[in-house]
Amino acid sequence: MSLLRFENVHKAFGGLKALDGVSISLEAGCMTGLIGPNGSGKTTLLNVLSGNLAPDQGDVIFDGRSIVGLQPSAIARRGVGRMFQITRLFRRLSTLDNLVTSGCAFGLSFHDALDRAERLIEELELTAVHDEDGGNLSGGQQKLLEFGSVFMGAPKIAVLDEPFAAIHPHMREVMVRFIRERHAEGHGFLIVSHDLPVVLGLTDDLIAMNAGQVVARGDADTVLHDPLVIEAYLGETAVS
Amino acid sequence: MMTLELILQGLVMGVFYAMMGIGLTLIFGILKVVYFAHGESFMVGAYTYALIAALLGLPLPIALASAVVVGALLAVIVERLLIRPLYEKFGDWQQMRDEYAIIVTFGLSLFLINAANQFLGPYPYHGPALTDIARFQFGDIIIGGHRLVAGLLGLLILGGALWFIQRSFWGKQIRAVAQNRFGASIAGIDTRRVSALVFMLSGGLAALSGALLVPLFHAQPDVGMVPALKSFVIVVLGGMGSPIGAIIGGLILGVLESFGAFYVSYAYRDTFAFVILIAVLLLRPQGLFGERAREV
Amino acid sequence: MNASHLRTRREFLVSLVFLAAVAAVPLFVTSGYLLGIVIVAMYYALLAIAWNLLAGYTGQFSLAPTAFAMIGAYGTGMASYHFGLPPAVGVPIAILVSAVIGMGLGRIVVPLRGPYLALTTIAFAEIVRHVARNAHEYTRGDFGMSVPLISSDRVMAFYLMLALLVAVQVGLYFLLRSHAGLYLQAIRDDETAAAGRGINVIFWKTVAFTVSGAICGFAGAMYVHFSGLASPDIGHIFETGLVLASVVIGGIGTMIGPLVGGFIVQFAAEGFREFGLRHMLVFAAMVILFVRFFRQGLWGLVKNAWDRLFGQGAARPARQVKEAGE
Ligand SMILES: Nc1ncnc2c1ncn2[C@@H]1O[C@H](COP(=O)(O)OP(=O)(O)OP(=O)(O)O)[C@@H](O)[C@H]1O
Ligand SMILES: [Mg+2]
Repeated sequence: MSLLRFENVHKAFGGLKALDGVSISLEAGCMTGLIGPNGSGKTTLLNVLSGNLAPDQGDVIFDGRSIVGLQPSAIARRGVGRMFQITRLFRRLSTLDNLVTSGCAFGLSFHDALDRAERLIEELELTAVHDEDGGNLSGGQQKLLEFGSVFMGAPKIAVLDEPFAAIHPHMREVMVRFIRERHAEGHGFLIVSHDLPVVLGLTDDLIAMNAGQVVARGDADTVLHDPLVIEAYLGETAVS
Repeated sequence: MMTLELILQGLVMGVFYAMMGIGLTLIFGILKVVYFAHGESFMVGAYTYALIAALLGLPLPIALASAVVVGALLAVIVERLLIRPLYEKFGDWQQMRDEYAIIVTFGLSLFLINAANQFLGPYPYHGPALTDIARFQFGDIIIGGHRLVAGLLGLLILGGALWFIQRSFWGKQIRAVAQNRFGASIAGIDTRRVSALVFMLSGGLAALSGALLVPLFHAQPDVGMVPALKSFVIVVLGGMGSPIGAIIGGLILGVLESFGAFYVSYAYRDTFAFVILIAVLLLRPQGLFGERAREV
Repeated sequence: MNASHLRTRREFLVSLVFLAAVAAVPLFVTSGYLLGIVIVAMYYALLAIAWNLLAGYTGQFSLAPTAFAMIGAYGTGMASYHFGLPPAVGVPIAILVSAVIGMGLGRIVVPLRGPYLALTTIAFAEIVRHVARNAHEYTRGDFGMSVPLISSDRVMAFYLMLALLVAVQVGLYFLLRSHAGLYLQAIRDDETAAAGRGINVIFWKTVAFTVSGAICGFAGAMYVHFSGLASPDIGHIFETGLVLASVVIGGIGTMIGPLVGGFIVQFAAEGFREFGLRHMLVFAAMVILFVRFFRQGLWGLVKNAWDRLFGQGAARPARQVKEAGE
C-alpha cells in the first residue's frame, strides 16, 4: 500500500489553475524527484500536502487516512516533514534552540531533543554557529538548519522544496550525503529541484509537472525524453 | 422622511470619514502597515483652522488651506523621520515591520496628543462655520448649514483626490508601488518620493477633514482619536489598500452610524464601528471589496 | 544548556534581585503616599509583563492589555458593588472572567496577523470601555464603582501586590523554561515554520492570550481594591500607551525589561508631575526614540555595556547585522 496518495487534486487561484487534477502515489521509503518549469504548481502541491492550502477538490491520503482539513501542525506530527522554498526558521532562536524546539514539538523529551540536536549540528557542520541566532546565519547555513529541523522528528516522508538552490557546493554535498543516509534508514523523500544533475544523482524516480498537471512519471530516461516534458521545458515552439 | 434625513446626515459624516480613510488606505497600500497617528493629522488640521480663523481672524479659505499645508507638512516630516526605516534597510526591524510600525506610530499618536495638551491646553477651541446660514431645509429634511457646505466641499475634494490617485501620473506611480515596491523601484520609480507623496496627501486630507469638522466638534488634543479609529474601520470595510473601497466604506459607516444612533442607542453610537470592524476582520478579512492577500 | 534557557535564567535572576530590593522598600519608607506610588508601579509592571508575554515572546501585538485590566477591575468591582462579595471571592472571579475572555479573544484572533490583530484588539478594547461607560445600571458609567480596600494598612497592601508580582514572575519563568517558552518564541519568529515543525499554533496562541488576559485581570482587580475605585479610566488608551512604554523602554522580549520598565514609568510619571510636564509626552517621545534607535531597551543597553566591559564578547568584533533579503 502506498504511503502518500494525491487523488485528483485541484486548486485554483482566481482563474489560474495551479493544480489541475493531480494524482500521484508514493511508496514508503521513496526517493522521488519532482521537476517542472517555474509556476507549474510544485510548491502549491506541497502546500496542499502540508495543510497550508486547502484543495478545491480531490483528496490527499497519507498513511491510510485523508489529511485534508487537518492543521499543518497535525500533518507535520503525522510524519510529513517540510522544508520551504523560502527558508523558514526561528530567526531569534539560536541554531541549537531551533532544533530543540522542533524536536520537542515532534514529541521528543527535552533531553532527547538536546542530544539529537547536538548530533545534527555536528553532522550538518553547523558547529561554528551553534549559539548564533538563526537570523544571523548565512543563507546556506539557514537552509541546512531548516533541513536539520525536519529531521528532529521522524518524518515518514520529507518534502524538500528547492533544498539545493543557492547554497555552496560543499554544503550541498553535506546535504546530499545526509539525505542518502536517512533514506537508507527508511525515511522517504520527495525533492523539488531545478538542479537536475543533483536530483539524478539521488534518484531515478521522477515526476514532471507542467501547468498544474503531472505530465510524466517514471525513471529518468523515460521522463526526460517524454515529449510532453520537453515541450514543457522548451515551450510550444520546440514541438511544432 | 426621517429615513431620508438620517441617510443625508450619515452621508455627510461619511464624506469626512472617507477623507480620513483614503489616506490611511493609501499608506496601508504602499507600506502594508497600520498608521496609528492618522488622527493627529486630523487634530492638527482642526487646531490650525480654529487658531488661524478665530484667533488671527484671517479669511476662512486661508485657514482651510493652512490646515491642509500644516497637516501635509507634519505627515511628510513623520515619514522622513520614522517611517522610512520601514522600507529602507534597517537591520532586524525589517523582520519586525508590523511591530515597529505599531509601536512607533502608536507612540507618535500619544506624543502629538500630549504635545497639544502641553502647549495648547486641554480647552476646546472653536472654529467659525463656513456659512452664516444656520440650517437648510428641503421639504421635511433639515440639515445644518455648515454641515452641508462642508460636506459638499469635502465631496469635491474627495472627487479630486480620487481622480489624482486613479488617473494622474503620480497616482499611477502610487499604485505601482502599492502593487510591488521592488518591481516599481526597478522600473525607475522613486519609491521614497512616492511614499512622501502618499503621506503628504493623507496628512493633508485628514487635516482638511479636521478643519471642516471643527465648527461641529471643537478642537481638543484627543479630538482625532475617534475619527482615526473609525477610519480604520472603513479601511478594513473597503479592503485595505483600496481608495474607492475607503470612500464607499466611509459612506456606509456614516449611514450605519446615523441609523444606529437613532434606532438602536445614542449612547453606543461610537461603538457600532468597532463591532463592524471585528465582524469584518473575522468574516471577510479582505474587506467587502478587496482581494485576499497571498502567502506561503 | 541551550541559549534561550540561559538567557531566561539570567534575566530571571536579575529580576529576583530587583524584586528583593523592592521588598525592602517598606523597611525604609513609611510614607503611605510613597508606598502607594510603588504599588501602582507594581500594577504597571504586571500589565507590562503580561503584555510582553504576548508581544515580546509570542509576537502577538495586542492592544488590549488594559481592557483586560478593566475586565478584572469590573469583575471584582461588580461582585462587591452589587452582591457585596469580599475581595477574596471577587478577585478569583475577576481572574476567571478575564482568563475566559482572553481565551475567547485569543481563539478568534488566531488567523489574524500584524496590522489586523492590532486593529481587532484595539476595537475590542474600545468596545469594553464603551460598555463600561454606558451600561450605567451595572457599572455606574463614568462615575465608576467604589470598591472596598483590600487592606487599610498600606504595608499590607504593598506586600500583597508584591506577592502577586513575584508569583507572576516565577510562574512566567517556569512557563518560559518549559518547552512552551520555545514554542511561543517559535510562533513569534515564524508561524508557518512553527506549524510545519508540529507546533500547534492555535493552541499555544490561545494559551498566551489566556495567561496574559488572566494576569492583566488579576492586576486590575488588585489595583481597584487598592485604589478603591473601578472606573473606565483604567482602560483608557493612554494607559495602553504606558504599558507599551514600560515594555519598550525596559526591553521587549526579556523577563526583566517590563518589570523594571513598569517601575521606571510610574516613578518618572510622578517625577514629571512635579515639573508640570505631562508625563505621557515624555514617555511617548521615549517610546519613539527607543523603538527607533535602541529597540532592545534599557536591558539591552545594560547587557551590551556589560559584555563590552567584562564579557567574552569583549574581544569579539561587533556582529554584523545581516541585511534582510526577500
Ligand atoms: N497563494 C497564491 N495566490 C495566487 N496565485 C498563486 C498562489 N500560490 C501560487 N500561485 C500561482 O500558482 C502557480 C503555481 O505556483 P507554484 O508556486 O506552485 O509553482 P512552482 O512550480 O513551485 O514554481 P517555482 O519553480 O517557480 O517554485 C503560479 O502561477 C503562481 O503564481
Ligand atoms: Mg515553487
